[in-house]
Amino acid sequence: MDLGKIAVIENTVIEYMSPELLFLAHSGQPYRGTLYIHFVSKGESVDLVDLKKYITSLRSCTFTAENIAHEIFNKIHTAIDVDTLGVIVDLSARGGIQQRIHFGADFEPVKKQNIFQVSPH
Amino acid sequence: MPNISDTKTYQMKRSDEVQQLGSEHTEYTYEYAPHLLETFENIHPQRDYWVTLNADEFTSLCPKTNQPDFGTLIINYIPNIQMVESKSLKLYLFSFMNSGEFHEDVVNKIGKDLVALMSPKYLEVVGLFYPRGNISIHPTFSFSNGEAKYDEIEKHRFLNRNINPQRIG
Repeated sequence: MDLGKIAVIENTVIEYMSPELLFLAHSGQPYRGTLYIHFVSKGESVDLVDLKKYITSLRSCTFTAENIAHEIFNKIHTAIDVDTLGVIVDLSARGGIQQRIHFGADFEPVKKQNIFQVSPH
Repeated sequence: MPNISDTKTYQMKRSDEVQQLGSEHTEYTYEYAPHLLETFENIHPQRDYWVTLNADEFTSLCPKTNQPDFGTLIINYIPNIQMVESKSLKLYLFSFMNSGEFHEDVVNKIGKDLVALMSPKYLEVVGLFYPRGNISIHPTFSFSNGEAKYDEIEKHRFLNRNINPQRIG
């Protein structure tokens, strides 16, 4: 699917975060992760409804885990013109190993608490 | 019950009880599949103890919009004779991935499946679902086998829900 674009003010720093990333490993096992997208606007951004649909569409797609950040980077990069685009995916641990996949520009993701999720701790 | 103080006997018993754990090829199913659940024997039936299973990656679909839902499931139970094997539970929970159900129905369905599987003394399933439309839904299923002690636990926890979901880790 294509990502639509919207006009935004130039040089706005934009970061999107979703804790609801899901895709399939080649084994068929679902992978869960948190997605961070960071860039500086050159006058446009992606339509958020399209971004949500795109993220949801990955539920039925199969990837090598290490390639997931590139897949998302490439999708955004081809849809809108931005500066310093970076994508980070923090995957849930598998076999006791935690993976962070990073493609594009460096940035430090801001981890926001989901204020509606009552902490089970 | 075999003499489980013998390590080899114990390992053989556990190996025979469950099929999916350690299997070289795991089949993932994305449609509701309660038959995936497996049990093993509780070899400490003389004392009551809690087992807590946390599942942070639960996902299913909204039956109306088909949009994905996500949540954490916390399962607490006091075993009787049968206990649920965790890999089979993982595969069973993954099988909800393309099932369309409301949060309240999912939690009750999982609770009933686990009761049917294990006949536990006490069991509860807490669902902590991510918000949709600014509202997060946290249903709780609870079951007692009818013995006075477990009825008392169910009553206490029913009246005091949200105080402590007993999550570990």
